[in-house]
Amino acid sequence: MSLDLNLTESEEMLKATALDFMKRDVPKEVIQHLQETDTGLTDELWRKVVEMGWLGIIIPEQYGGAGNPLTSAGVLFEAIGAGPLPGPYFSSGILSSLIVLEAGTDEQKQQILPAIAEGKQILTLALTEPDYSWGPGVIRTTATSEGSDYVLDGLKLFTMDAQAATHFIVVARTEKESDPAKGISLFLVDRESEGISVTRLPGFLTGRSFEVKLDSVKVPQSAMLGGKDEGWPLLQKSIDKAIPVLCAYKVGGCQAVFDMTLEYSRIRVQFGMPIGRFQRVQDMIINMVTHLDAARWATYEALWKLDTQRPAMESIHLAKALASRAYWEVCTIGHQVFSGVSYSKEHALSFHTRASRSLYNFLGEPTYHRQQIAQLLTTS
Amino acid sequence: MDFSMEYTSEQEEFAREVGAWLDENMPDDIEPIRDAQKMSYEQFHKRRDFACKLGEKGWLYPGYPRDYGGGGLDGAYSVVISDELARRKHSLPIIDDWTTLTAPAILACATEEQKKRYLPPMLAGNALTWQLMTEPEAGTDEANQQTNALRHVREGEYFIINGQKIFVGGLHPPPEQLYLLTRSDREAPRHENLSSFIIPANLPGISIQPLDLFPLTTFSGAWGPTGATQEAVKNSVFFDDVRVHESCLIGQEGDGWKVTQATFAVEHGGGGRISRNYLSEKFFDQCKSNPNIVRRLKEHPYLLNKVVDIYFYTQIARLLSIRNAGGKGGAYGGPHFSMYQKIGGGKYINDMAEVFGPYSFTDEGDWRLDDGIFEVGQRNGIAMAPGGTPEAMKIIISRALAIGR
Repeated sequence: MSLDLNLTESEEMLKATALDFMKRDVPKEVIQHLQETDTGLTDELWRKVVEMGWLGIIIPEQYGGAGNPLTSAGVLFEAIGAGPLPGPYFSSGILSSLIVLEAGTDEQKQQILPAIAEGKQILTLALTEPDYSWGPGVIRTTATSEGSDYVLDGLKLFTMDAQAATHFIVVARTEKESDPAKGISLFLVDRESEGISVTRLPGFLTGRSFEVKLDSVKVPQSAMLGGKDEGWPLLQKSIDKAIPVLCAYKVGGCQAVFDMTLEYSRIRVQFGMPIGRFQRVQDMIINMVTHLDAARWATYEALWKLDTQRPAMESIHLAKALASRAYWEVCTIGHQVFSGVSYSKEHALSFHTRASRSLYNFLGEPTYHRQQIAQLLTTS
Repeated sequence: MDFSMEYTSEQEEFAREVGAWLDENMPDDIEPIRDAQKMSYEQFHKRRDFACKLGEKGWLYPGYPRDYGGGGLDGAYSVVISDELARRKHSLPIIDDWTTLTAPAILACATEEQKKRYLPPMLAGNALTWQLMTEPEAGTDEANQQTNALRHVREGEYFIINGQKIFVGGLHPPPEQLYLLTRSDREAPRHENLSSFIIPANLPGISIQPLDLFPLTTFSGAWGPTGATQEAVKNSVFFDDVRVHESCLIGQEGDGWKVTQATFAVEHGGGGRISRNYLSEKFFDQCKSNPNIVRRLKEHPYLLNKVVDIYFYTQIARLLSIRNAGGKGGAYGGPHFSMYQKIGGGKYINDMAEVFGPYSFTDEGDWRLDDGIFEVGQRNGIAMAPGGTPEAMKIIISRALAIGR
């Protein structure tokens, strides 16, 4: 039988390098600081990550990347998820790169992808709006043709990493169609364009989430990624591939929380013994294991299916629903085991609680993905 | 049976009296604030002043005996006062004050002289009191006290206190008083080695340091935006050779655990009030009246399952509190309700994050829902420890039901 859940040698090396980097360059204090910033970055950290080639991990070699399969990206993001390392690495290096790969012309790929890999451009996806949904039905941002340009008008809400970004991939409607998945186009927009304003959404659990206003923003036709009115299916395909990498990041977070909680159960003494001897505490940590392992193996199965060109949709939805929920629950359970000490903003668990909440809905919350599964299960 | 909870005509009369007095005497410059961690010193004191006005009438602690400065009113009349305040977006005791937990201990265990000394200023709102029990090594195991109160070697009527308390209080320290549990005997067995004191908060050797915590702020179950702020800001309190006279000892030396039980009876008891979940009421409002949410529910109708889950949770909580208020909760009802609220609360904030999406987490600016109550609720729902963890409640419930015995 060909079952093999081991990492390859190069994946092991990547993992070790990433864990090493986290230990050496991103201690607790740095994470706490980064979570407060608008970009999640320092110049130094960005430079180091770029030098490791991590922004280009899945970008094909011909476009300046390392050309690795998605599973490698999963391994990398699981390792940095243990911090969790803030920053636009996923938005730019994974999600936006996949969109450009899926939708871009060869010329566009030549222009954009090497710049992403070298850290010179940072791209992020601007999809969701005040009518919050990850489906196409409620996109109100419009792109109107004006000569050889398009004029974009609308409002994007909950856009990740907008402050760090040099460019947005804006999802806009170019044509009204009865099928909402038709008539949508994708535009690469320079952040410095006239008419763009970016405002951070405040909140301890909000993460780096922004409002992006587009007020008659003019872009050339060449800024369109993919064919006119045909953007949505290309976008959806890219999001589907990106999702398991985001899941891996959350799995890394779950693992870190499990590790710290297990350790605490051994050293915290109440009623004369380590609290891990009490069945109630054991039950909590065992629940963590169920969440963590279900999320982990669903994620890696989805990555494997994508890398081996197998049908993967059910696995992707399953992984996302499980991983979002797992990260949320594992942090909540962690706070029950640690109790008061973990309410401190300096406690490493609170870093993960922030990430678990701010990423819970990103690329679709569990109910959204469960609904997609429901449709898959009931249609032949 | 009768679930109507309607006023009698005497209570109606009293409600009119209270309402009229409030309309006349309630200050109009108390600003609503959802996140009590952001409450200014000025606003804090406006609330204290209002509390003192109520205290003069005996309405701040209406159920306590008149002799000591309470209102001498039975349960139903106290509810009338709470209801009239709730209509005007307030709830007793207006601002964080652990008199609610200290006064029962005084009534149960103090001498008559102490009752006359301590209770009137507290019940009048003039002696804001913090409760100090938890320590780094005494959380769920509250009896594992390390803070020592030992008799002075030469001046035997004084105790010297050394140690640290955490998760205490309290906005804008210091309060007037500290109600504190200590270990007064290093040899005696567990539960027999503790003593309780009520001491001035400004004694030499006491220092108060705020903790930077993310979840503790107004319980979003509080009535209205100016409702009693619970657990808003927590502090560490350090004791460095603090000298305390034995007249501050509540009960006998060694009675500390007995005194503490009187407090726990109230703290774990759910207060005997009917639970009204302000956060979930606001949630259903949003589902009906916020156009973005209404459209979201239309676009994704499966989310209605989560809406109904929240409904079930709040109804069960309400009914369990009615069970307790109506005297059908037995010995387990109080901690059982407290446990249900916390665990259920942990679940329904997740349900809300599904329905509202990332709107759940923004607390300021144009995209904030309502006055930020949901963001507060998201942080607050994580903190299950204040007032006793669900696990501590389960220990008490199991004993009360004699499970396995």
